[in-house]
Amino acid sequence: MLNPKTIDDASIDQRVYQLNLGPQHPSTHGVMHLLVTLDGEVVLKVEPVIGYSHRGHEKMAENRTYEQFLPNPARMDYLSGMIFNHGYCMAVEKLCGIEVPRRAEYIRVITSELNRIASHFIGAMDYAMGLGAITPFLWGWDDREHILDLLEGITSYGRFGGVRNDITREFYDGTRRFIDRLRGRFWDYENLINQNIIFIKRSQDVGVITKEVALDYGVTGPTLRGSGVGYDVRKREPYSAYPEFTFEIPTREAGDCLARYQVRMAEMEQSLNIIEQALDHLPPGPIRAKVPRFVTPPEGDCYCAFESARGAVGFYIVSDGSRIPYRIKVRAPSFSNLFVLTEICPGHFLADVIAIFGSIDVTVPEIDR
Amino acid sequence: MPTAEPTKPLENIRNSLVQVIPEAELLDRDYQECGYHLEVRLVMRGMRRMAREMKDRRFFLETITAVDFLEYFHLIYLFTTYNEASFRVMARVKLLPEVRPFSVWTIYPEAIWLEREVYDFFGIRFEGHPDLKRIINPDDVDYFPLLKNFGKTKFTTDIDDILC
Repeated sequence: MLNPKTIDDASIDQRVYQLNLGPQHPSTHGVMHLLVTLDGEVVLKVEPVIGYSHRGHEKMAENRTYEQFLPNPARMDYLSGMIFNHGYCMAVEKLCGIEVPRRAEYIRVITSELNRIASHFIGAMDYAMGLGAITPFLWGWDDREHILDLLEGITSYGRFGGVRNDITREFYDGTRRFIDRLRGRFWDYENLINQNIIFIKRSQDVGVITKEVALDYGVTGPTLRGSGVGYDVRKREPYSAYPEFTFEIPTREAGDCLARYQVRMAEMEQSLNIIEQALDHLPPGPIRAKVPRFVTPPEGDCYCAFESARGAVGFYIVSDGSRIPYRIKVRAPSFSNLFVLTEICPGHFLADVIAIFGSIDVTVPEIDR
Repeated sequence: MPTAEPTKPLENIRNSLVQVIPEAELLDRDYQECGYHLEVRLVMRGMRRMAREMKDRRFFLETITAVDFLEYFHLIYLFTTYNEASFRVMARVKLLPEVRPFSVWTIYPEAIWLEREVYDFFGIRFEGHPDLKRIINPDDVDYFPLLKNFGKTKFTTDIDDILC
């Protein structure tokens, strides 16, 4: 404890100070560093410092073949690995003009949507834990574990032109069981979290992202849809088998942390609908098109956008006509979503920074790539 | 499957871009093949005017990136709308080594980070950027990793080596 006599007038006036939140911090979802400038408890400025888990995926892409790069995209956003894998395959297929069999598209959609639910469980429940509620987090991980078991069972990682393995009877039945189980659980989550006064007080009107700010910062995904903009790549630029399914894009008008949380929960239900429709109408047929062992795209470039659990991802691939990509650029949604913190945090309390950061749900390895 | 056929909004944006940047070359591209509808080839001078126009038309800046072609760079700007009729406009700036590009951060604040990333990986310095420093790589490194003459590229010239 300081002796009050040793504090002179000058240091009493010196109220503004900086706090290092992270890089090792339980609520930063990985190795991330927020440099917060505070006046007492009130945030004046937030500067995210990133790059701690940079692995150079984009440079790696430039010295290996398209096939050898196949495991990498799933390591960028490790929470939506299947979706990234799907997107990368789509980008290369677009570049080469490969037609994918419908059954393969359906399997990809099923795995992507299962992965989206798993990711939203982390996004929403980790957010609740950031606000001090430990039970929803454990419940969420319990449900998530069922998805991971299902995905482990098939490991039908995408390949160019289709998927590697067909889905099995166990996977089919297991997914059906999981859909029934999860539909029954939403009510529990509703009761557990949505009625909780602490949760509401900590989320409502905290960290409001307006439509203008979203446009300035290129915010996408559930973070954007919480601000009342119904932008979803699955609807706006339909890819894969998505146009064949009916589903809605949930939005909330408020733009605060609560709205973003609600959008994630509502999206899980929509993903269940998509999976159910895909299982109902799973077409027979081949699961992989005839593709050479090593693809050689023609000279040119292509941009392939898709919706991950965090927003609009894009693979920009430049080909020089060889079997090795000339350049691969990944548009990471977390990168843009994170930068918006600098705009919305000032004026909030320090504790709210944790809430806002949790509600935006970024994955750090995706930002750093 | 479907998407955004060249619709009326695309015509509108094309017409206004012709007015705002008359020197630019506008190319229609096949969305199914390359994932964007309109490619705008321009020199750096027109970029801010174009960004302003895109902002007024409620486009968001999807990404900024560069491609190193050894003698010159291509700076790539991608714009997309949140609107119902979604389409993508790409601006491609051919950047000779002596030219310094302008920052568009006053129009799109997001560009502060996107341009820092381009600087970090390619060493391209943006004129008028408020805080141009490393973002992902450590502050004290002296290389630009995504330049083609950095490190080992195309580590294997013969694919058959991998097969055996």
